[in-house]
This record gives sequence, C-alpha cells and structure tokens, in this order.
Amino acid sequence: MALRGLGWLAVLALVAGVGAAFGYAPREAVQGNVQRIMYLHVPAVLTAYLAFALVFLGSIGYLLTRRPGWDRLALAAAEPGVIFTGITIASGSIWGKPTWGTWWTWDARLTSTAVLFLVYVGYLLLRGMIDEPDRRARAAAVVGILGTANIPIVHFSVKWWRALHQPATILGPEPSPIAAPIMLTLIVNWLAFTLLLLYLVAKRTEISRLEEQHAG
Amino acid sequence: MPDNWSYVFAAYGLAGVVLLAYWRRLAGRAKSLGARGVRRGV
Amino acid sequence: MRRAWIVVWKDVLSERRSKESLNALVFFSILLLFVFQFALGPERARVEAALPGLLWLGFILAGLLAFGRTFLVERENDCWEGLVLSPGDKSAIYLGKLAGNVLLMAVVEAVLLVLFTVFFGLDFTGVLPALSLVLALGTLGLAAVGTLFGAITAQLRARELLFPVLLLPAVVPILLGSVSATQIVILGQPLAEAGAWLKLLAAADLVYLVVGVLTFEFVLEG
Repeated sequence: MALRGLGWLAVLALVAGVGAAFGYAPREAVQGNVQRIMYLHVPAVLTAYLAFALVFLGSIGYLLTRRPGWDRLALAAAEPGVIFTGITIASGSIWGKPTWGTWWTWDARLTSTAVLFLVYVGYLLLRGMIDEPDRRARAAAVVGILGTANIPIVHFSVKWWRALHQPATILGPEPSPIAAPIMLTLIVNWLAFTLLLLYLVAKRTEISRLEEQHAG
Repeated sequence: MPDNWSYVFAAYGLAGVVLLAYWRRLAGRAKSLGARGVRRGV
Repeated sequence: MRRAWIVVWKDVLSERRSKESLNALVFFSILLLFVFQFALGPERARVEAALPGLLWLGFILAGLLAFGRTFLVERENDCWEGLVLSPGDKSAIYLGKLAGNVLLMAVVEAVLLVLFTVFFGLDFTGVLPALSLVLALGTLGLAAVGTLFGAITAQLRARELLFPVLLLPAVVPILLGSVSATQIVILGQPLAEAGAWLKLLAAADLVYLVVGVLTFEFVLEG
C-alpha cells in the first residue's frame, strides 16, 4: 500500500533528521548543545503551519463543494496540527529554561504559537460536540477559516505587544548567520516532519472514511 | 555555557512519545475498523 | 431591501433585549467593578495602572454574556427554523444581529466607563473622543466574531462552555490592540501614537467582518 510506503519513508527521514541533529550538526558556539532543540522546534512549527493550511483548504473545500472528503481532510490535518503546535511550545519552553532561566516568557513566537494552539484545540472540541456530520463540518469549517485568517493578525499583534514591553532578545532561537550544516540539518528535519504530517493526515483520512462506511 | 543534554533529550523524548502515542492510536483504530470491515471488502 | 432587513432586525432585537439583557448586563458590570477592586486590593495605584486591561476585561466578560445570547430568543421560541428558511441574503441577518450586539455593548461600555469614573475617581472627559474610537474599533471586532460564533454554538448543549473557549483565543489581537491603544489614549497622548494599533484593529475588524458575512449562511443552514 502506498500509505505504508509513505510511513516508512517518513520514519527513514526522521531517523536521518534526528541523526543529523545529534551527529552531523555542529555544537553551537554561544548556546552549546541545547541549541539542538531548534532542529525539533523550528520544523515543528513549520509543519504545524502546513497542517493548518490544510485545515483551511479542507474547510473552504467543504463549504464550496459539500464533499465529505474535504471535511475529512480538515479533521485529519487539525489533529496532527495541534500535536505539532504542542511540540513547538514544549520544545520552545524546554529550550528556554536553560537559555533564559525560565520555563515561560511571553516571547512573541511562543505566545503566538500558544494562541494558535488554543484556537485549534477549540476547533477539535467543537467538532467533538456535534454529532451530525454536515452540521459539524460546516461549523468546524467556519471556525477553521477564521482561525487561519487570524494567524497573521495574531502574529503581528503579539509581536508589537512584545516590542512594547521587552527589548529584542539577544539570543534568538535561530543562530545567525546560519552556517550550511545547520541549515541543512534544519531542512532535513523539516522535510522529515512534513512527510510525517502527510502520512498522519492520510492515515487519519482513511480512518474517517472507514468510520463513515461503517456508520452508513 | 554548560551543555544541558538533559533538556535536549527531554524535548526530543517528549515529542517522540507524543507522536508515537498518536500514531499507535491511529493504527489501533485502523486495525479495528479493518477487522470489522472485512465483509464489506475494504 | 437588505437594509430594511437590517433595520428591522435591529429594532426587533433592541426591543426584546432592552427588557432582559440590558438590565442584567449593566448590573453585571457593576458587580465586575467590585470584583476588580477586591481582586486588586485597596491601593488605588494598582487599579489605575491596570486600568486599560480592566476596562477591556470588563468589556470582554460582558461581551461573553451578551454575544452568547445573540440567538437565545430564536432558539427558545423555536424560531431557529424561521431564520434558516428566511429568503434572501443571510448575511443581512448577521449584520443585523451584529448591529444589535454593538449597540448593546455600547451601552454597557458607557455604563462601565461612568462606573469607573465614579468608583475609582478617574476622569475621561479630556480623552473621550479618542477613547471612543478605540472602544468602537475594539467592540466591532469582538462583536463580529461573537455574533458568528454565537450562531455556531447556539444549537449546542455545551454552548456556555464552548462559546468562551472559541471566542477568547480568536479575539486575542483585539484584546492586545485595544488595551495597548487604550493605554496610550488614556494618558492623554495624541491619537497618532496609537496609529499602528488602530490600524491593526481596523484590519482585524475588516477580516472578521468579511469572514462573518461570507460564512454566516453556512452556519445558518439548520
């Protein structure tokens, strides 16, 4: 099955990515090895954004066509989206403890990501509360569309809000300038996470389809 | 700066556990649905 | 034709609401004032420092109550199908409900401002025009999302739980922008200083309104 192949490909890519993160990528000069968390944190947030773009796509697709496949896509992308967002927050927080001394600062990216997390957890909660498939799909689609449209607005509002209260931190999550091995490791991990996301979305979609067949 | 490997492992470990748990949940559901759906020729 | 719809809805809502929601919301605002004071303690400086945040906290809490009830009348009186089956552009209903909500919030906000003036010894007279602009932009955004999500959660058993859970993350930019702009304006600084925030609020309002207008008909399908 193509799905199995995708799964194994994702596993392979993840092994390569983690291996690169620990073995190939250099020890960063300023932060030390703690910086390796970034090879998890940055790809995770990028993958989360991709997931929510898929939610947006599925939401619009359903409202326009009413084909259940679009709604299946939206749900299938939202679940891993929330997971990757959670991983982003957790890894960012864990990175922050030795670096900044606290588990949480109201740093612009962490805060924006936390808001994103809350929005899509709400999305999943909403879905859980409606049994009728069409109504559930429509309600979720509207919430999903607003949630995605809100992403840039949240980003800027939090960024400006932070600028008011704190000078720019010296230690950004990404080292700069970005050396080639670091960039390469980031890219490999990002690709691996993307493959994993696609696999999870496909698998979740398959489950939804099976469930509908059983119910129908 | 000290290396703080424990933090690195904690972050990766957490991510790995969560993703693995989610995947296992999916795989479990797919399996039970597949077993039920044998007669429908899925 | 659509305008007629909106006006009709507005009047109908105002009339119905003035009996139930308005009184309760005003009283709720008074209670909030006491709660804020008790939560922050007797030092006046603390309350004054937190003033913009407290104001918007009050507005949002009142808004949660007010917006959550947007479609209560229709639901309780079995009129939901009436909404669903009404001919023409459903977005007119959204705009009508939105206008009603904005009016309701305007009254609540005015009352809360007066209460703050009285209880905390503050004076807004100098900054009132600028403050009103910030309030208007912020309230519009809150109501735009609140009316839309109010319709979505209207039919759910768990609406009292789910409505705040959906609304609060969605209006984070409104909260941030409004509090920041209020902070600037209340200190008597020129409106231009808050320009960036006002533009953010206006942009957010526009996005929320467009999404609301475009998607409301899908919510109202039954």
